[in-house]
Amino acid sequence: MKQEWNVYNPGTFYDELVAAQHQPRKASYKLVDFLRNLTRNRFSQCVRESEAVIREMGITFTVYSDAGNIDRAWPFDIIPRVIPGTEWDRTETGLKQRIRALNMFIQDVYNGGQAIKDGVIPEDVVMQSKGYREACVGITPPHGVWANICGSDLVRHSDGVMYVLEDNLRVPSGVAYMLENRNITKRVIPEIFNLLPVRVVRDYPSHLYEMLASLRPELEQPTIALLTPGIYNSAYFEHAFLAQQAGLVLLEGADLVVGKDDYVYMKTINGLERVDVIYRRIDDEFIDPEVFREDSILGIPGIMRAWKKGKVAIANAPGCGVADDKVIYAYVPDMIRYYLGEEPSLPNVPTWVCRRPEDREYVLDHLPELVVKPANESGGYGMLVGPHSTAEKVEEFRKLIQENPNNYIAQPTLSLSVTPTVTDKGIAPRHLDLRPFILSGKDIYVTPGGLTRVALVEGSLVVNSSQGGGSKDTWIVDEYGTEEYEEGEDE
Amino acid sequence: MLSRVAERVYWMARYLERTENTARLINVYSSMLLDLPGRMEINWYTLIRLFNADHAFRERYGRVTEENIMRFLIADRDNPASVVSSLLNVRENVRTSLDLLPDEIWQQVNQAHIQMNAALDLIDKRHDRQNVLRAMQQAGQCIRGTLDSHMSRDNTFDFMQIGRHLERADMTSRILEMASMLLSEQRSDNMRKYEGILWTNLLQALSARQMYVRHIHARVDGARVLNFLLTDKVFPGSIGYSLAAMARRMQYLPDPELPMTMAQRIFEHLGEQDLSTIPANQVHPLMDYLQSELGQLHGEIAKTWFYPDYDAHPAPQAQG
Repeated sequence: MKQEWNVYNPGTFYDELVAAQHQPRKASYKLVDFLRNLTRNRFSQCVRESEAVIREMGITFTVYSDAGNIDRAWPFDIIPRVIPGTEWDRTETGLKQRIRALNMFIQDVYNGGQAIKDGVIPEDVVMQSKGYREACVGITPPHGVWANICGSDLVRHSDGVMYVLEDNLRVPSGVAYMLENRNITKRVIPEIFNLLPVRVVRDYPSHLYEMLASLRPELEQPTIALLTPGIYNSAYFEHAFLAQQAGLVLLEGADLVVGKDDYVYMKTINGLERVDVIYRRIDDEFIDPEVFREDSILGIPGIMRAWKKGKVAIANAPGCGVADDKVIYAYVPDMIRYYLGEEPSLPNVPTWVCRRPEDREYVLDHLPELVVKPANESGGYGMLVGPHSTAEKVEEFRKLIQENPNNYIAQPTLSLSVTPTVTDKGIAPRHLDLRPFILSGKDIYVTPGGLTRVALVEGSLVVNSSQGGGSKDTWIVDEYGTEEYEEGEDE
Repeated sequence: MLSRVAERVYWMARYLERTENTARLINVYSSMLLDLPGRMEINWYTLIRLFNADHAFRERYGRVTEENIMRFLIADRDNPASVVSSLLNVRENVRTSLDLLPDEIWQQVNQAHIQMNAALDLIDKRHDRQNVLRAMQQAGQCIRGTLDSHMSRDNTFDFMQIGRHLERADMTSRILEMASMLLSEQRSDNMRKYEGILWTNLLQALSARQMYVRHIHARVDGARVLNFLLTDKVFPGSIGYSLAAMARRMQYLPDPELPMTMAQRIFEHLGEQDLSTIPANQVHPLMDYLQSELGQLHGEIAKTWFYPDYDAHPAPQAQG
């Protein structure tokens, strides 16, 4: 494979593994060296084996289509993505700072709105957020934490800096795939783990359990359940996997009732048994037909009443989605300064908020070079990527912004970093992002690394697995173990 | 334990047992046909009758051929009793109860599933068919072994055991019914000459031959085989053993009175039969009775544990 690695060329992009002149970066030196010393046959064998392992391990995700739901094998790329430990430590600090500020903001929104009164965040921006829930006003969840599980998307620009692209605060998914990606690598190329000190990810389930238990500090052994919409949900595999790994009761709305005493009970063979903490994997809109959508058949009538009275803890807290909004995102650096009195240590992507006239003017003048996002969409839908778009599409967005400027933000088109990826044409650079997961209860925990998603189509920036994205094992490598290999050394 | 989940693990165990039993039955039956002279009246279609699938088969297949029957019984996803359907049902039930099962189970089920699907196009050939059916038996044994070795003896395990034994008893009664019918038909004079072969194969189809030989110390004949498979106290494939095992598991579950009494009643009814006086060719009414009783027992299990009337319970009290 030496030849193939020697001709590998990331072009003008920042490459996660390889620096200039085909030299591996310091933290990835041993990995790249291992890979380029494999024969083509051995490497192909590893790729095939990883595919077989994924089928055997039953790692799937569901794609919704007109022809019904299809279970697809999880798309996985065998070449890991490496992040140096020192860089990760700074990133982790930044993520913790960010989630603290976000949780203080949500708590503030539903309890007085001091930041609004102080002019830090405009009131109408908060009120127009799709995740705002009137029913949550006046509530303080355990530890004042609303977003107990957060998945923040990070991207690296050609300047080498890691930026926060968005914070997924409602029901972020992907952590099971992070865990399974490591399991696959360990099965397919076990030799490599002797070479490198890779930080361990597998204790996420126990951190999850501890965080959930910390939401009912008064109970010695709370009963904790994971509430899934059911087997037809695209993330059902993850729900079952997390329940199995963390020891949660996997259940659906129909398994639960709220009693006359406002406690939540599950229907067991012994009759009704109390549930103390619910990790919900359904949107809060569907959680209680008495309060939110009446047509929800996934929810549990009365559960909001139980939650408000503190008889059940729900993670993430209903209403926490207020901060999961692309316009509010633009204000997160201000939140950090306002609530914590600190400077943000992880930068936002520079963002123009179209509701501000001067920002809007700039955006409308520069549409073909910008990325435009609606306030409340996820999965990459409803976006304009100016440079990759047509003139008609640009004009369509111009109209949309003029009609409803409050609903849009714009950002420069980032030049996302790339990493060596297995393709039909050999090893080639592909764009990627990173979703670390942050748990907040009594304490805050950040996964070492997270889920790396990679756009498998040449030149594409879309990493979502529903739209042709793949994934990689993510390694946080402490460089002290690699010091003997200096950059510039060859073979 | 959630009622809905109790139902899933119960069915998982039933389908697992069914996958393995059906695979073994087809293989043993095929091997028996090779032992019998070609002019025998006995044929592949008997298998369709055994599963009460005449109608479903005729609806989907024009001709009664070995290939069609094998496709229907092994590879037809529209036949709910086929090996591939049973295995798919195992997988669906495992997928939805992962939080209760040992880690390895999911992988073992997937491996079986992949293996089965890869072999679907090969089953027209007897040799390949035998191999895949043997692989399915082994997969069943492997999964069952993992469950037996690594599962706590809790209510989840109780429901699995109940499901497993109910399915096993049902299958045994069907196989005995088939044998009895083969022998009872007028045209079966020929068959009776080969009765010994029939009973030996029947024991094999239930993985019972060696234990029979060891414990009965006598030539394989109808009355003894019948007695062994209906009432033997220590062989885990006898119907009596299965009924006793179910009743024993039920006593660990909440409010077991109704289903437990029912299992005991069927058990006692079996004990009251003087099996030595029933000619082998007249066993099928007894088997019919057994199958209908087992069906009712299933209904009672479902009513008691899977779909209880929660409103009937007193207002729930908060636990400490």
